Amino acid sequence: MRRNKGIVLGLLLVILLLPLLAACGGAAKPEEKPFRVGLVTDVGRINDKSFNQSAWEGVKKAEAELGAEVKYIETTDAKDYMKNIETFAKEGYDVIVTVGFALGEATREAGQKYPNVKFIGVDQFQPDPVIDNVAGLIFEEDKAGFLAGALAALMSKSGVVGAVLGTDVVPPVVRFGEGFKNGAKYINPDIKVLIAYHPGGLAKGFIDPEWGKQTAFSMIDQGADVIFGAGGQTGNGALIGCAERGVLAIGVDTDQYYTVPEAKSVLLSSAMKLITPGVFNLIKEAKEGTFKGGNRIGEVGLAPFHDLEDQVPQEVKDKLKEIDKGLRDGTIQTGVQVP
Amino acid sequence: MADTTLSTAPPAPRGRGVRLLQWVREQLLVPLLAILTAFLVGGVLIMVTGNQPGAATLRIGPWTVGNPFLAYLGLLEGAFGSWEAISETLVWSTPYIFAGLAVALGFQGGLFNIGAEGQITAGALVSVYIGYALHGLPWPLHMLLAVAGGVLAGAVWGGIPGWLKARTGGHEVINTIMMNYLILFASNYLLAGPMKDPNPNIAVAQTPKILPSARIPRLIPGTDLRLHWGVVLAFVTAFLVYWFLWKTPLGFEIRATGANREAARYAGIRVNRILVLTMALSGALAGLAGAVEVTGLHYYHTLGFSVGYGFDSIAIALLGRSHPFGIIPAAILFGALRNGASRMQFLTQVPIDIISVFQALVLAFVAAPVIVRKLYRLKAAREERMTLTQGWGG
Repeated sequence: MRRNKGIVLGLLLVILLLPLLAACGGAAKPEEKPFRVGLVTDVGRINDKSFNQSAWEGVKKAEAELGAEVKYIETTDAKDYMKNIETFAKEGYDVIVTVGFALGEATREAGQKYPNVKFIGVDQFQPDPVIDNVAGLIFEEDKAGFLAGALAALMSKSGVVGAVLGTDVVPPVVRFGEGFKNGAKYINPDIKVLIAYHPGGLAKGFIDPEWGKQTAFSMIDQGADVIFGAGGQTGNGALIGCAERGVLAIGVDTDQYYTVPEAKSVLLSSAMKLITPGVFNLIKEAKEGTFKGGNRIGEVGLAPFHDLEDQVPQEVKDKLKEIDKGLRDGTIQTGVQVP
Repeated sequence: MADTTLSTAPPAPRGRGVRLLQWVREQLLVPLLAILTAFLVGGVLIMVTGNQPGAATLRIGPWTVGNPFLAYLGLLEGAFGSWEAISETLVWSTPYIFAGLAVALGFQGGLFNIGAEGQITAGALVSVYIGYALHGLPWPLHMLLAVAGGVLAGAVWGGIPGWLKARTGGHEVINTIMMNYLILFASNYLLAGPMKDPNPNIAVAQTPKILPSARIPRLIPGTDLRLHWGVVLAFVTAFLVYWFLWKTPLGFEIRATGANREAARYAGIRVNRILVLTMALSGALAGLAGAVEVTGLHYYHTLGFSVGYGFDSIAIALLGRSHPFGIIPAAILFGALRNGASRMQFLTQVPIDIISVFQALVLAFVAAPVIVRKLYRLKAAREERMTLTQGWGG
């Protein structure tokens, strides 16, 4: 009996002590001060296949192309925002990326406290007065929605398209929805656009794939043959519903070909906030000394067509390019007025 | 080896020292060994999962593994390595103490209050509303009112399942879970709608900030330390709960009802009244957790405000053996783990979920002491079985 216990304990000890021995072999190497970038996630994980991950990919790009030294901290509670940001700031990091609107206040506060550190706040609108070392990377959802709507209208044969959206209590979601409607009407003024916002508010609005799927089904029953799903898991549910019925779908925020593989076969594209290049460009500016604070508008765009590349006619692709260009240079307005 | 001597039969209780040793053996050994085992298993997990690019790793022969030593060192440093770290650990521990006391008080009365999460939210909602909507009150009065409002809200939210139990026999586990959902959806609606900060620049669902007159002051003004008087209140409350449960007739009635409801009834205790009271008091403590978080730390209320204090507090109550003086170290342990996690991840880039796994392991080992006893070949203590709640029929 006692011998058994000895073995159990002994094994545990060996497992834990081995690395200690191994650790003694490492030698310190002299190094010059590297360019260091830290990222603090919103409450969520680094591999959330969404904003946190896209922002981290931008940071990783800086590691690969700018030789930056990079690290991240995952926030588990709102009360840790400041502490996590300061963990990097106190270590003398050059750039700190904070992901999500909720970190905005802590990021601005840290910006004032650590004027030598450059802060990049993803999805953080910067009110006046602008802080020189804090840049808010924001996106125009109405433009992304407009592109999705135009694509949907261009691909629709039935003349009915739909959008399954998260809750309308969040202005960006409404901008997606209104942008989608206006984009579809821009292509075809007579098109019927079905728009459904999740009625469950923030509590259920983004986490109800079943509702998303059923709503997509009901739109399909009403004749919709292209559906835009925008609203976290709710939107993802709509994409999966489209896959089950073999109806074309458009995703949102990130390239959902990778995040919702169940919908690969019907996923036309995704209306993306290009967070990865946005974050990378701002880090690059910081490295080159051209960093500017305030609101910095990141690009939006459609994801590749992937499996459906051959099904999209060349004239549709050309038209989309034209609209994309028009939205960029201002010759096309989305006509969305949501604060 | 120390543990082998512990596993032999103790000598007959003789003198203070021996009694102390026996007390340690019976009350502390399992929790301590549970924590130790969780650390060991967690270390293996860190080695397996910590093999991330950019992470601090170790090489053992052909394998590259995560570095549990650096991880634990980071955890320790992040939790206690500076005054700021200690302050943050205590800040983290504060809601854990209140909520742990809430669940423990329920256990003492034979009730499983799984609704601390909802009661915390109820407390925070009412507290924040009083904090930002009432104008013109002087400082201590406004603050006390905000905190009292939160306590009352928690008491109501916990008292309803207690009343349902006393009146209809409806099980408090089911009803507190239901109450959790009710308040969750109510708060989602309120925070995104009527209570949302009207400032158009704020895109997320959060309330306006409470007025300075409603805030619990910092413990050490003039520094960055966020430690507030709520921490002191938590310790005082733990003592008050102890005093109430063990030194007052009402506390005795609660414990008697918890030990054996039928016997208590037979002894003339008005059991139904005690059930409602126990749940209301439990809810009040949880509500206090929410109220203090709002008035002492955040100054506003937002969605995702509680990341499961209510559920963690069940683990804390179990680890602390449902005793107020056990709750404090258990809550500080959990607070330290949560607080130190950032530093741990900064140093080693191991997944932060390790902390949740770690807490789950502690809970599993404490809830199933047989595992720990088997692992370390300990004899069962005399008071091994602790009746936490009574069955469906009760």
